[in-house]
Amino acid sequence: MTAPASERDILAHAGASPISIEHHPRIEPGPALLRHTTHAHDLRAHRLRHGEPPELDLASLHAMAGAAAVQGRGGAGFPFARKLRTAAEHARRGRRPIVVVNASEGEPASAKDAALAEVAPHLVLDGAAVAARALGAREVHVVLPGDRPRASGLLATAVGERTDARLTWRVHDAPARFVAGQARAVLELMAGRPGLPVTAWAPEAVSGHRGRPTLLSNAETWAHIGLLALEGIRPTLERGTRDEPGTTLLTLHAAGTPVTVVEVEHGTPLAPLLPALAWDAPVLIGGFHGTWTTSAALAGAHLSRAELRERGVGLGAGVIIAPGPDACPLGLTAAIVEHLAAESAGRCGPCVNGLPALARAVRGVVHGVVGAREEAARLSGLVTGRGACAHPDGTARLVASALTALAGEVAAHADGGCGAGAAQEVAS
Amino acid sequence: MSGSGGDAARLRVDWPACKAHGLCHELLPDLVRLDEWGYPIVLADGGVTPAQIADARAAVRACPRRALHLT
Repeated sequence: MTAPASERDILAHAGASPISIEHHPRIEPGPALLRHTTHAHDLRAHRLRHGEPPELDLASLHAMAGAAAVQGRGGAGFPFARKLRTAAEHARRGRRPIVVVNASEGEPASAKDAALAEVAPHLVLDGAAVAARALGAREVHVVLPGDRPRASGLLATAVGERTDARLTWRVHDAPARFVAGQARAVLELMAGRPGLPVTAWAPEAVSGHRGRPTLLSNAETWAHIGLLALEGIRPTLERGTRDEPGTTLLTLHAAGTPVTVVEVEHGTPLAPLLPALAWDAPVLIGGFHGTWTTSAALAGAHLSRAELRERGVGLGAGVIIAPGPDACPLGLTAAIVEHLAAESAGRCGPCVNGLPALARAVRGVVHGVVGAREEAARLSGLVTGRGACAHPDGTARLVASALTALAGEVAAHADGGCGAGAAQEVAS
Repeated sequence: MSGSGGDAARLRVDWPACKAHGLCHELLPDLVRLDEWGYPIVLADGGVTPAQIADARAAVRACPRRALHLT
């Protein structure tokens, strides 16, 4: 049996990302962060629109971030207010906190931070500056995505425009790889070592850069903080829902449409975000470390981290991939796992050995190999929780979700077929 | 670092440091298994009972990569 053309193509490029970086995503205007997509974005224009950010003391900023329920938008979703408090509690004489803007999106499918670099760089930097002042920090580090020269350049230009009193800005170029955006990898880079994950013995808000309390957040998180500081909490509370105020950025990949970054209020129905046809096939939510799901499992769902969690789906960094009914979701999963295996930092044994084995098992599932499904499930359990970073865990989560949400496809492949329209024609 | 002791003690692996020498499994077979590549699988989420603590400390000291930690 010869592999279908699309699959041969994937095998020939085994390890390359099946979704490449979109350097010019379509950016739809949104209600808050993406309100000014077509205007000038230099510091002067930004100040004309928003004015100077107020000096917020720690208690005010903490109360504001808590009331707005701001959560980390890099994927982990940790409450910002708690991180802020931890960093403040561990500050002492000689141990001033450090603030870090993590703009190094490791995931090729995400384009939201690049979109912010494009249309709202000073919202991001205002958020970091306000927090730095509230914490008594003197240094703000901005970590740029090495594999996105356009976004890096725009952010570096914006940093160069800053005139914040008492703040020193530093920029760093993250290496172009999936795990480079992980918090500990970013701290390694800032310390002058290769930007690869190491074991964290304490949260970075307790002990981060040079052992100092380090408030490290994703670019989108900082943009939300910046907007809160500039316009006060009321507009944010008027958006979204009572439990989840405000908005979130999503990167949408729907077959046949350009990669689009949108800003959506929490509580918005999910279905209209994608073309109807896209829902006729499984959808991957959260990106390469995300979970496969189906329109049936998401029937009536809204954009809500809590609601999605109840349905077994994590929003991650807000990536939604809808390959559509003509693509084989299992083949895409295999290609993603091969990419993630190739993107291992190569330091932790279970990841170095386990992810390639997992990739082979998933490819075996695609080819209907007897026992491959059980082996993929076993290896997913085996690698979870056994690494310096969450790369193996995220990869295992993707595979586990494929084996359950795509059970019909798995069974069809075991019988030598494929549920996807185009792939079926080639295979038969 | 590794001297906390008591019932909250937990074994953790510094994964980038671990090079699969396997001494932890030999010294702590009840707490550590090895996967097919020789890397440790720490059982029960690393929980160490007071009765196991002396052996666990010995294993921490024995690791040639100093990759086993008691936190």
